[in-house]
This record gives sequence, C-alpha cells and structure tokens, in this order.
Amino acid sequence: MVLSTVGYAQVDRSKYPEPGPAPKIELEDPATFTLDNGLKVFVVENHKLPRVAFSLVINRDPILEKEKAGMTGFVGDMLTAGTSNRSKDELDEEVDFIGASLSAGSTSIYASSLKKHQGKILDLMADVLYNPIFPQEELDKLKKQAITALATSKDDPNSISGKLTAALVFGKDHPYGEIQTEETLENITVEDIETYYQTYFKPNIAYLAIVGDIDKKEAEKVVKDHFSKWERGEVPELNYEMPSLPENNRVALVDRSASVQSVIDITYPLEMSLNNDEYLDTRVLNYILGGGSTSRLFMNLREDKGYTYGAYSSIGSDKLVTSFSAGASVRTAVTDSAIHEFIYEIHRIVEEGVNEEELDAAKASLSGSFGRALESPSTLANFAINIDRYDLPKDFYTTYLQRLSALTVDDINRAAKKYIKPENMYITIVGNGSDLKGKLEQFGEVSLFDNQGNPAKEIEMTDANITAEKVIGKYIDAIGGEDAVSSLETAKIVMKAEVQGQVIEMTVLYDDPGMRFNQKVAMMGNTVSSTTLADGKGSVVAMGNTQELNDEQYEEAKMNMFLVPELHYGELMYSLSLDGIKDVEGENAYKVVVSNPTGAKTVNYYSVDSGLKIKSENEKSGEMMFLDYEEKNGVLYPMKNIVKSPMIPVPLNTTVESLEFNPSLTDEDFK
Amino acid sequence: MKKFALLMLWACSVCSPIIAQNDIEFREFTLDNGLHVIMHKDNSTPIVVTSVLYHVGSKNENPERTGFAHFFEHLLFEGSEHIGRGEYSKKIQSEGGTLNAYTSNDITYYYESLPSNKLEMALYMESERMLHAKIDEEGVETQREVVKEEKRQRYDNQPYGTILPETLKRAYAEHPYQWAPIGSLEHLNEASLDEFMDFYKSFYVPNNATLTIAGDIDYAQTEEWVKMYFSEIPAGAKEIYRPSIEEPKKVTEIRDVVYDNIQIPAVIQAYNLPPKNDPDSYAMDMLSTYLTGGNSSLMTKELVDKQQKALAVAAIPLDLEDGGIFIMYGITNMGIKAEDLESEIDLLVKQVQDEGVSEQDFKKLQNIIENDLVSKNATMSGIAQNLSQSHVFYGDTDHINNELELYRDVSREDLQRVAKKYLTLDGRVVLYYLPKSEQNQQ
Repeated sequence: MVLSTVGYAQVDRSKYPEPGPAPKIELEDPATFTLDNGLKVFVVENHKLPRVAFSLVINRDPILEKEKAGMTGFVGDMLTAGTSNRSKDELDEEVDFIGASLSAGSTSIYASSLKKHQGKILDLMADVLYNPIFPQEELDKLKKQAITALATSKDDPNSISGKLTAALVFGKDHPYGEIQTEETLENITVEDIETYYQTYFKPNIAYLAIVGDIDKKEAEKVVKDHFSKWERGEVPELNYEMPSLPENNRVALVDRSASVQSVIDITYPLEMSLNNDEYLDTRVLNYILGGGSTSRLFMNLREDKGYTYGAYSSIGSDKLVTSFSAGASVRTAVTDSAIHEFIYEIHRIVEEGVNEEELDAAKASLSGSFGRALESPSTLANFAINIDRYDLPKDFYTTYLQRLSALTVDDINRAAKKYIKPENMYITIVGNGSDLKGKLEQFGEVSLFDNQGNPAKEIEMTDANITAEKVIGKYIDAIGGEDAVSSLETAKIVMKAEVQGQVIEMTVLYDDPGMRFNQKVAMMGNTVSSTTLADGKGSVVAMGNTQELNDEQYEEAKMNMFLVPELHYGELMYSLSLDGIKDVEGENAYKVVVSNPTGAKTVNYYSVDSGLKIKSENEKSGEMMFLDYEEKNGVLYPMKNIVKSPMIPVPLNTTVESLEFNPSLTDEDFK
Repeated sequence: MKKFALLMLWACSVCSPIIAQNDIEFREFTLDNGLHVIMHKDNSTPIVVTSVLYHVGSKNENPERTGFAHFFEHLLFEGSEHIGRGEYSKKIQSEGGTLNAYTSNDITYYYESLPSNKLEMALYMESERMLHAKIDEEGVETQREVVKEEKRQRYDNQPYGTILPETLKRAYAEHPYQWAPIGSLEHLNEASLDEFMDFYKSFYVPNNATLTIAGDIDYAQTEEWVKMYFSEIPAGAKEIYRPSIEEPKKVTEIRDVVYDNIQIPAVIQAYNLPPKNDPDSYAMDMLSTYLTGGNSSLMTKELVDKQQKALAVAAIPLDLEDGGIFIMYGITNMGIKAEDLESEIDLLVKQVQDEGVSEQDFKKLQNIIENDLVSKNATMSGIAQNLSQSHVFYGDTDHINNELELYRDVSREDLQRVAKKYLTLDGRVVLYYLPKSEQNQQ
C-alpha cells in the first residue's frame, strides 16, 4: 500500500484527464414480429427489473378537426372511463390493487406492472382496447374541464403566443394550426369519439412495444392471446397543403394590456423530419444557436444583456411539417432591443457560421443526451418504431453517434444557410401594446391579432373629435341619461356564480350619497368575506379575520364603490385618457384609462356602437365583462358579469338574481 | 365478486414467497484513508454515475453555526486548486453530463452522470473537491448570496414553505434535528473563513465519505483510477463529531400557531419516529401510504373527495438516523376551520388504531410498495443513491437487496400496532398555519 501510494502520487492534477475512446454504443435490435391483422410488435428484453410495459401506438395521419376541434384530446380519458365489463371505479381499483398503471391517449394505450401481474394488466388493457363504453357523463365532465382550461389560457401570455404562432406558421385550416373554442368543444359528442375510435384504433396502423422482463417467445404468446382477435380496418390517409414562408419579415402583435413582460417568438414553417439527410446537422446547428444554457442566444440575451431568464431556439422534426422557433420572455422595456439581438444572432449564424469549439461542445452535449436516453429501455422500442414509421435506414441509430461526430464546420454552415431564413420570419410578440407603440415597425409590417390568433381589426378612430369625456357622456346617455342615472342613490344587488360545483352568492349594497359600500360573498349559506367602505375607511373581513385597508388601498377600492362610478369621476379628480378603439371579443370599443390621484388605474371599454361599458380592467382585481343589459327604473344595468382575477382559478360567470334600486339601507348594513 | 376477490387473494398469497426483486450486484472496498468505495457494473448503457455521499448533515452542525452543511453543498461547486471558479458545472455539462447535489439532516450527496468514457474525469473532479476545494472569501461571498436567494424562493416566499423548520423546532428540544438544513442566514453571515475551513477539514474527508460508481465500468480499471486519485487524500485528523444527544420522550402535546403569507389555513401534526434502521420504520412507511398515498387512500378519499373538508392531505415519514418525525398536514377547504379538519384527521387516525387495515387494503398496500421499490432501482442514479445510503444508514450495502423482505415482514397487525405506538396524542406537535391577517387581530 505504501508503494502504491507513492506510485499514485505522480498523478498530474493540473489538467483534466483525457477521456477514453468514445464508448461503442451497441444497440440491439428489438425482436419483432407481425400478427396476421397487421399489428407490428417490437420486444425489448430487459431482465434487470421484474417489470414489463406494453405500449400501443396508433400511427395515423394528423387530423383536421374543424368544427370539432379538441375532440382527439378527449379520446384517451374516454377510453379509460369504463368498459362493458367494468365501471370506471372498478377499473381504477383493479389497476391500483396490483400497483400498476394504465393510461390512454388519442393514439395510444399504455400499461405497465410488475412481471407477476402481467396477465392481469394485459386483461385490463385489452378490455379498454375492445370494450370502451364512452359514458356521456365522463364527456360532460371533460368538456367542462376543457372549457375552464380554455378560458384560463386566453389570459395566459404563453398560451396566446402558442396559438398565434401555430395559426401564423401552419394556418388555421391545418391540423397543427387550428384552435379549439368553446363552440368547437361544445360540438363534440360521444358519437364523434365512438366514430374516431372505430376508424383509427386498427391493428394495421398500430405498433405494440413491449419492454421489460419478457422474451420474444412469451411475448408472442401473450400478444396472440390478447391482440389477435383485433380486426383490421380501412383507415383514411390524409394530406395537407404545405404551409409557405412569409415573403418577408412580418411582425404580429397581441396587445395584452396587463403584461409586464413580452413573450417573443420568432418563427417560420420548416420541412424537417428524422429521415432528412441533414437532420443531425440541424440538431447541432440549433444547439449552437440556442439549444442550451451555453448557446449563443442564452449567452447574449441573458448572460451579457440580462434581458431575460432564458432565451432558446428550436428546430423541430415532424413527418408532415415543423417550425423553427427562437424566443424568450423579456421585460417590456427591452422588447425591441431583445428582438434586435435575436435577429442579430440569427443573421450572424447564417453569415459568419460556427466555429470548431462550438461544434465540439454541441457534439459532446448531444451525444451525452443520446447516451443517457438509452438508459431507459423504452428508448430502444421508440427507435425501432421510428425506423419503421419514418422509413429510416436500418442502421440509423447504430450509426447516430458516428455520424454526429463526423459533422464538420462546413456541414453546419451549409445547413445554416439552407434552413435559417432571416428574411422570412414571423416576429410575434404578446405584450403591452401601448408601451410597444412605434417600436416594432423597424422589424417589418406590424399586424394586430387577438388572443385566439385571429387578426384583430385594425380600428381607425373615425371621429377625430371624440374624447374620453365624450365617451363617458355617451355611456351615461346610453344607460338612460344623467337624470335617470342620478336618481339612483342606493341599490341592493344579489348575484350568483358557480365555481367547481359550488354556488357563490354575492350581495352588494351601494349608498352613493352616503359614500358607503358593502359586498358580502357567501358559500353554502356562510359568509366567506365581507368588504365594507364607509366613513372614509375600508375593511375586509374574511374567514373571521379583519383587515383594515390602508389609505392607498382605500383609494383604489373607491374606484368601484359607486353604482355608476362614471358619475363621480369629476368630483373625485380622476384623470381620463382615451387610448383608441380596441376589439373586445369582436366588438369595437373605446379604451378609456381612468387614473386616481394616487396613480391607481382602471381601464374601461365602451362599445362604439351602443355606447355601453362592456369591459373593465384593473391590474390588481383583474377584468370584468358586462353583458345582458336590462332596463330597470329607466336605467340599463348589466345582468351578467364574467370576472377574471388573479385570485380566482377560473373565470367566474355571475348573474344578477335580484336588483333593487333605492331601497332604504341602515347603518347596520355597513357595519 | 366477493368470491372472486377471495380467490385472487389466495392466488397472491401463493405467489408471495417468490421475491420479485432481482439482486443488484456490487463490489466494495475501503482505502487506507477510510474512503469507502462501492461499484456497480451494468454495461447495458454507456453512461456512468459517480456520487459522493458525505456523512454530514445539519445535525453535525454547531448550534451557533447552522446551515453549514447545506452551505457546503453550494460552496463545493466553486472549484478547487486546479478547477477554476464556476468551472465545475460547466465542465460536466460540456462533456455531455448532468449533475446535482442535496443536503439533509443526516447527509450531503453529490452526483454526476456522464458518458462512461469520462469516468476518470469525474473521479478526478470529485477527488479535487475532497482534496483541496477552493474555499475563499470570494466563493463564500458569492454562495451566501445564492443561498439567500434560495431561502427566499423556497422557504420565505413559498406558501407553507416554513413548515419543516417550524415543525422541527418544536418536535426536538435537545437533538440538533431541531433546525432544518437551510439553517440560519445570520449564522452564515457571522461565520469567518476559518470556520468554513475547519468544517471542511472536519467532515469532507475520505473517512467520512462513500464514493459510489454505477454504470458502464470495468471493475479493475475503476478501482485503479479510484486509488490513483483518492489514495493521496489524507484522512481527517479529528474525530468526526456525531451528536449522541438523546431526545427525551415528550409527554405533553405541543400546540402552536404560525402566521404566514397564506390565504388558506393548514393543520400540521408531527409525531416522533424511531431511528431510521428500526424495523418499525417499514410499517410506518406503509402506514403513510395507507393514509394518504394516492386517490384511493383513506384520508384522501374521506377528507378530500367525500367530506371535501381538505384541499389536500399528506402523511410524510421523515425517517432520520437518530429518529425522525412523521409529518401529517392538511390544507383546509374553503370555509373550513383548522379545528374541524384536525378533528376529522384525528378520527381517521383513531379508526386505524381501533380497527386496523382490511385484508384487501393491506394486500393493495403491499403491491404498491413492491412496485415502488422495484422502480427505485430503474436508473443508475437511483441505484447509486440506494447503494450508498444502504452502506451509510444500515451499515450493510446489501440492504438494497433486502429491503423488500423487510417490508414483507410487516404484518397487518404491525400497521395497527405502530399506529397506536407512535401516533400518540400526548407527545405530538400540532401547528396551525394561519393567514398573517389573523395575527393583527390578536
């Protein structure tokens, strides 16, 4: 030991040891066989752990769902919602009982368990495959969840950006560009799902990957037992027009006035698939441009400029069509500077190319992740499926690392020139339009879009003489005129809303001359919160706790304490400004920004046609839509509100249950 | 249906002696300087995971200098005599690898996963860290800032983020488990460079470390490299401080309220557990799965789905070397008082104590546990971690292969027995997390 210690003391610590020769990755081809019905089976034997997984994949062409957009999203949950042999509860319990898992998607069914429960989990999987009953109540539940999620996504800048770029890059009448709406979701029926299942769940377009503690012989037996009675069927082939590049750079903006950050995505359609000879070249190219946290975009926009937490790019791969994308979320104020840097880097990689050092780092990182992915035996099954599905050379994956390491700087530079299109990009931004005004034209023609990726009507102010005060005046006229409106002094309004199956009741008391306000929220008969403004003070009582509002909070709350706040803007010294005409859910509306003396802002939208207030926004309390105006005491009042707030998880649809003008209110009501 | 269930039970009881787990093979040796080395060879994928477990956690800290072990988790990425500042992570990543580290009350664990031809590099880098890590003012200053941000993000700014520190503080009167690994920022600010150096020399020494290498390796070559890079590292000169403080058994319930930046009240209950290697630990783990593991578990089904008194409930056995705590928490549903939820939780605990667990549920529990245990060893990083913990916590690396047997030894009666023995009302800690606004009132 003494000797050896002396011997090892020679070790040179001044530099990193050289790596050994790159490991030979021996990828064993999975065993494979095909049933008479056309089902292709791949078996990846791996006896390390006593587990086995069965993964069924349906290989169909992308579907354009049109007026039923969103239907395929329900298929998986509907498949596992019960069979003619088992209710959903029974199915869940049987899966849980053996500690297994079973799930499905629109093109897949996946089951895994310990080896000893293999027979049971296969029985359950086959039951789901053959005998689903697609219960109506499950579809109703799923629709409700999807509509709730959709409503939330309309307010989420990243979702908005995703819809916008999909619509621009692929077009709305392309499977990758079409979007779901409340309407398309509502259109979906159990029959649609049944028809889809009958059409596409066919063995002749399916792969079954079996991974784990099983050999080919056993696999053949269990597959025959469970899947040979599955019947073939004619499956339609679908083709789509190839999306085209924009002729020059175009800027697309979604104005989201609540934004403090801009979501930037620079993108265009691209043909790139696993079976493209330059697939690997584009992997390396993308890594160098923006694939990781040492790539050019990250180093420039985050490390050097500090514009963002992260900036990345991607070059997709897809049998049909894919896209190039480069993006980041940046502070509003640096939006144009950030776009400038993106465009700079995109140009630079085409014009100057990459260097040897970048190439080596990209290769090391990509081969590292290739190697790590192999740890999961399902990777081998996916490789086998890909080879068949994309018609790849048999040695596509076995030569992957050699091909990667053989790539040269010239190869990458050639790919950059071919696939990066600095002059044909959609430069998309979801951000605060007022703050971005005039800053985006330098990058290309600017078009406005709404939060669903539809072109927003560019609305000219036709009436040059219109002012914020005139808009407010028009509104007061529209709801009944100043006399009628001022005759309303007090009011008691009861509203109801349903959230996640629970009914919320809201009672609001207004006492305008007395400068008093109270709002109580009750659930299941219990008051959950009570907000009172009176005697120049405000307090919120929630769950037995009282919180006094400070002066600033009180001033802000005051902006909404009156039955018709517009009547009081003048005496409260609020300042008003008119910020053009906007499209609010398809209706043209004047945007009026109301600021109180402490600087808090509320933004109101008044319909150009009817003059009515249709929407109100506030940074803290969220936004409220006003619908279904009805006449009462000579004044029009909205009978329906939709409230979106950062404090509530889902938009709240509230309807007025009762409305009483000029009731007599007592001090007790504002205690 | 009942007949079918019985039949199924019978079938399973017949197959239960067949142990599902395939053994994890390994070799181990100890260098003269005390470094324990475990190797697991699996050539199926050309990757290798290299990990070092330092047997130092927050419990080894000076009560006046808490947060040191966690601080070192950061500090030891600063570099070494030969590895430049900030280079450690970048180098691993640019060689196609990934890396991470964590700190608990008992241990600090570092690991990296790399293509297998870079094993020598990984060993070199870990040996640099053990031999002469860079500990200087600049690194300490940088990492203080990082740890500050981490504390803000993960504890102070996170609703309910302080549950662990607040619970530990009350669950232990004497034992150093009373503070959480994140420790105190004041202590870190007050500490001098000498103190950090001293902590490094005391605990980050080969005789307090377990080096584990799992993956595509050659045993002889790996052993040679390990000796080449690690033999010259001197053993620690000092005796390693391991607290031998016995936590006195509590006889009265401790009840307290924490006001936090939250909207919805939460109830936390904590019960003291036996030492990690006590056989009852397995029963307590199964009990926690029975109570809150998954949608069909007792408390989730009853309190979240049926009564809808809780938004979420969880039972987590934090099993520690010297005896951890069994933490149960429930977040109340809209309009439900903490008291109401607590009494429902107590009723369910009492139900288990009085009636035990049904045969059907017990079998399901065994199946879930078995599936979980098997899956734990699905990756090289999982295996490396289990091997090193088996050695350090159970003094027997082969524990990795015996674990399932130990769970199998747990009987239905054991579940009822441990529920009665450990979930006792008189020695527990009960905390209410309430909105800060409520505090203003009092």
